Amino acid sequence: MAYKVGVDVGGTFTDFLLMGESGSSAVFKVLSTPEDPSIGVMRGFEEMAASFGTDKMSFLSSVEIIVHGTTVTTNAVLTGNIARTGLLTTRGFRDALQMRRGIREETYNNRYLPPSPLVPRYLRVPVTERTDCDGEISTRIELADVEAGAQIFKINHLDAVAICFMHSYANKENEITAAEGIRKLMPEAYVSASSEIMPQVRFYDRVSTTVLNAAVGPILNRYLSKLIEKLEVSGFKGVLLIMQSNGGVTSARVVTELPASTLLSGPAAAPVAGIAYTAIHGVRDFITVDMGGTSFDAALIKDGEPIITNEGRVNRQALALPMMQINTIGAGGGSIAWLDEGGLLRMGPKSAGAKPGPACYGLGGTDPTCSDANLMLGFLNEEYFAGGKMKLDRGRAETAIRERIASPLGMDVVKAAYGMYHIMNVNMASAIREISIRRGFDPREFLLVCAGGAGPVHAAMIAEELEIPQIMIPKESSIFCAAGMLLSDLKHDFVRTYHTVLKKDGVDLERLRGIVKELLADGNEVLSSERISSDRRIFRFAADLRYVRQYHEVSVAVEKEWLESYREDSIKDAFHRQHDKLYGYALKDEGTDVELVNIRITAIGLTDKPVFPKGAYMGADAGEFIKGKRPVFIPSLMDFNEIPVYDGDRMGFGHSLRGAAIIEQVNTSIFVPSGFEVTCDEYGSYLMSPIN
Amino acid sequence: MRANNDSIDPILASVLQRRFKSITEEMGLTLLRTTRSPILNEARDFVTGIYDHKGRMLEQTEYIPILAFAIQPVCQKIIAYFGDDIHPGDVILHNDVFTGGNQNADVAVFKPVFHGERLVAWAACKGHQADIGGAVAGGYNPEAREVWQEAFRITPVKIVEGGKLRKDVWDLVFANIRYDIVAEDIKAQMGGCVVGERGIKGLVEKYGIERFRSHVEHLFDTTEKMVRSEIRSIPDGTYSAKSLVYYDGIHDGSEMLINLKVIVNGDEITFDYTGSSPQTEGFVNAPYAATASAALLTFLMLINPDIPHNDGILRPIRIDVPEGSFLNAKFPAATTFGNSLTGPNSDAIFKAMAKACPEKVTAGWNRFLGFTITGTDPRKNRPYVDILFLALKGGSGGTWMADGYDHIGLINCAGGILAQDYEMFEIQDPHFLIKHEYLTDSAGAGRWRGGAGVETEFTIRGTSVTGIAFGDGIEEEAKAFGIFGGKEGELNSITLRYPDGTIRKVKSKEIVRNIPQETVFSQIAGGGGGYGDPFERPPEKVLEDVVNGMISLEKARTDYGVVINVSEMTLDILETRLIRGAKA
Repeated sequence: MAYKVGVDVGGTFTDFLLMGESGSSAVFKVLSTPEDPSIGVMRGFEEMAASFGTDKMSFLSSVEIIVHGTTVTTNAVLTGNIARTGLLTTRGFRDALQMRRGIREETYNNRYLPPSPLVPRYLRVPVTERTDCDGEISTRIELADVEAGAQIFKINHLDAVAICFMHSYANKENEITAAEGIRKLMPEAYVSASSEIMPQVRFYDRVSTTVLNAAVGPILNRYLSKLIEKLEVSGFKGVLLIMQSNGGVTSARVVTELPASTLLSGPAAAPVAGIAYTAIHGVRDFITVDMGGTSFDAALIKDGEPIITNEGRVNRQALALPMMQINTIGAGGGSIAWLDEGGLLRMGPKSAGAKPGPACYGLGGTDPTCSDANLMLGFLNEEYFAGGKMKLDRGRAETAIRERIASPLGMDVVKAAYGMYHIMNVNMASAIREISIRRGFDPREFLLVCAGGAGPVHAAMIAEELEIPQIMIPKESSIFCAAGMLLSDLKHDFVRTYHTVLKKDGVDLERLRGIVKELLADGNEVLSSERISSDRRIFRFAADLRYVRQYHEVSVAVEKEWLESYREDSIKDAFHRQHDKLYGYALKDEGTDVELVNIRITAIGLTDKPVFPKGAYMGADAGEFIKGKRPVFIPSLMDFNEIPVYDGDRMGFGHSLRGAAIIEQVNTSIFVPSGFEVTCDEYGSYLMSPIN
Repeated sequence: MRANNDSIDPILASVLQRRFKSITEEMGLTLLRTTRSPILNEARDFVTGIYDHKGRMLEQTEYIPILAFAIQPVCQKIIAYFGDDIHPGDVILHNDVFTGGNQNADVAVFKPVFHGERLVAWAACKGHQADIGGAVAGGYNPEAREVWQEAFRITPVKIVEGGKLRKDVWDLVFANIRYDIVAEDIKAQMGGCVVGERGIKGLVEKYGIERFRSHVEHLFDTTEKMVRSEIRSIPDGTYSAKSLVYYDGIHDGSEMLINLKVIVNGDEITFDYTGSSPQTEGFVNAPYAATASAALLTFLMLINPDIPHNDGILRPIRIDVPEGSFLNAKFPAATTFGNSLTGPNSDAIFKAMAKACPEKVTAGWNRFLGFTITGTDPRKNRPYVDILFLALKGGSGGTWMADGYDHIGLINCAGGILAQDYEMFEIQDPHFLIKHEYLTDSAGAGRWRGGAGVETEFTIRGTSVTGIAFGDGIEEEAKAFGIFGGKEGELNSITLRYPDGTIRKVKSKEIVRNIPQETVFSQIAGGGGGYGDPFERPPEKVLEDVVNGMISLEKARTDYGVVINVSEMTLDILETRLIRGAKA
């Protein structure tokens, strides 16, 4: 038997999805071990082996692919536990990294401090050298400066060095000379040169991304070597793939060259999973949301393609690699309710986390949280939380809400709890609005795919806020990301800057063709190293374009042929259309010139994906799965009502029911409001929509 | 009108407040993405807002605080001006400082929002344009004596009527403005208003006009309550301070006085500028809106930063500025310097309020000194204009429990304005950067030190280059002040080194013409003032700054009483104790 395993390390739980060749699957969940996540990962494999009645050794030898999503790099940056890193940069500009272009994100807050620089100033070493914006070297590199830098880095026992010179995207010669020098002088160090990882214009974005890459390189290397060693010792002979923030996977070897691609990769598999789950319904436009204990991630997929951004931020530092555009806000089961000075109710972003946790966990938490409200309203079952493994304390939830919210507002506890629930829904709806309406998409034209343990209680009401007519709740919504990982292709992005106005005779065709050739070579090289045969390679080109004198570019998909033969009209038309779609206008008729800034390629290596088994039709009537009744707060009545509770773990393809109802599963609970109906599809996912 | 509390759902009020905020943010994003001028899309010198049918602020997103309160009064004037001649599909343009504007170059677009035939709200976008006509390109004219030399005045005018562009008016306006990108940027602002209109319409349709209005009233009331409780926490009293503005751009050595009295009485606060200098003959004057905005933005820094920005916030605040003073100049004064008086105005407010709320005020911020360059880019044979944002951003003042912010820039913008990216700067302008770094010892010493300033150096490769200096902070006395024992920040300066070796020190307000190619431009944007006795700063923090070259060894010893062993870069604890002890 050959297995594929998706492993998603989260803040509280590490989730596993195991798939066999026949499409059989199993879900495992162990507690995460943040001090060394590989411990939790290995524990999971032990549990899996045990459940098959075999030992770890023989089980792991039958696993052919492990796809792993890791948060080690993201956590390292968020907590400041990055590798000790130095920076070599052009003389005169060593503070760009720390200045962050002088922004203070909170305008009126004079106590708001900047984040600590990733490299302190004394380790940002200037080098005499210069390339101008046309790629001409105006000052040759002073090698003595590189040597002096190496000396400083060695004295300070640095593990990593980033190198970023002015305009190195236009000519990398000086930068590469410096990188070679450092690699020779510091063979043990992890060295990252900006032109190697992202030859793209904009100095601050590039220096910040390069430093992030260097600073997490040793962290990811250390973690992966440990994990690989443990896996190999335990008999694993298959392939280990790592999830990236661009929604693709990469081999464990290749990722060590671009470790920054794993930053913010946590939620990146959700859109991929969404594509697989929605495909059977012919849906290509949808929004995935994932609500856990502390955070809420939302992503939009249009025409079957997730939206990609080059403007990521991690801990307020620029990360300019192409990545899934995912909007994360502090909204989860643990979000704390509070009253501002004017007496308005607010929810989050502070979360009670897993410790002390919501008041109802009885672990010492006294703040009223979203979960406490959900319990008071009957959406959660105090006896059947986590399948009954954990008892919830209704009394504590009630006290917390009464003391902090209900009494000060002069309302009863239930009304306050409903207010909390409602504000949560509004906050989550706002997060969805940001990725949809803000970008020119009407959410009403999208299917809402709602995952995460805490999400399905809110799904219907979020959809109502946004007037979204249909909702999907994947059967195993808590391992949604792990499933996405198994479905991801290998994906690598490369970029070159070529700054020119697009005119009839305005471009240097040789240069354009040269760039296309280089990008293809880059893509082929990495996919070859991952042993992807040429018939399984796909290359997609894009051009970053803007109207002359605009500052921001729009990335537009283009055909290779358009670039190689310079099809000016095709390129421009695609841009006008995209600009119009995003911002509501285009300047086609005005004849405004269009500027090219970057050319990009995405090199895709198709993987063998597991086939999710379709269930047999089980009939429409779900009545036999009613396991009881309980009073639940019905928003449209503004009152409680006894409603049936269904055993979701026993339901399958075809079963359908009408709200108001609760569907209970081991790891989640779904609220179906009155006026909604739910049907199970072939994969066991629930489709919920208002009854017409 | 106060809302009838029986029918109010406090939850719905929270919902509306969240929605209003996201609508204005969405409008802002649209502008960021679609405007051409780097002043708008790079430096983000604009504001987006929505207002109710009476022109009262529902919510705003201000990238730049000085624009924060410059729309509501204009919106109300427009409503009064047009009366019942406001119809669906209208778009109104405005910049005029004598009908409520804050600065000529800040042009606003207003779009009324209708529900059926009823006016329910306004959406507005206001941004600093690359040019607004007048005698010099770019809008800043230190030689102006009257408003007409500064700008083309746009009193409230419909550029779109009933959905149809008024081509005649449009052409008239843009016939008086130099750069064609201004017309494109105004179009982008109109696009931003459409986004706002769509958002509000959705809300009114969903909740109904009456519920919408009653809950807006409730929202104003809760905000008012929050502000009043903030004011109540400030001890009652009259707090006075003076602050000077240096050089009127005409008479060397001239000084203008800001004479401020802040009166805190229960839950109300008054800013009274009686006794300030009379208006000047030049452009160192402000319209009322600019002075009021400056007072408000500084006040907002003294209270909880999370209070929603709507009409309620304004109710307990009074701002009295005598007409005919340089802070509220009479028609037809030149006033382009008005926004730049925010720094000295904030200085007065912080100094006065230091006695009332010592833990909330900051030491002085580096005063703004800008240099706008216009010329021709020989590479493209195209005119260019640039306000050198990267060069003008100095440090802010330290405050209780927090150092000043390095390279934050003028208080009018409070970190909302971005320095240009170096590579884009060289691509877009014919300038070759030599240096842009923090300046050692530029920050005022203090228990919490000021924010560091920066030094900028580049070679000018443009032709027909003119530079316009406008600002302050050059004269010795104009240093960012220290507070409670903290020291002053470094001064500003601008120097031109011509190819023939001549050095020209630029005044704080002047036009420098015919700057030859290959001239090296150098600017220092100074640091902020320090807060508290520097001898109380933990020696480890001083050491850290010395290691990083932010503070020199010498200043560590003289200003902070901290002695460092140079060979190992460690603290000499004994010596430090000795020096610090001797002072005590």
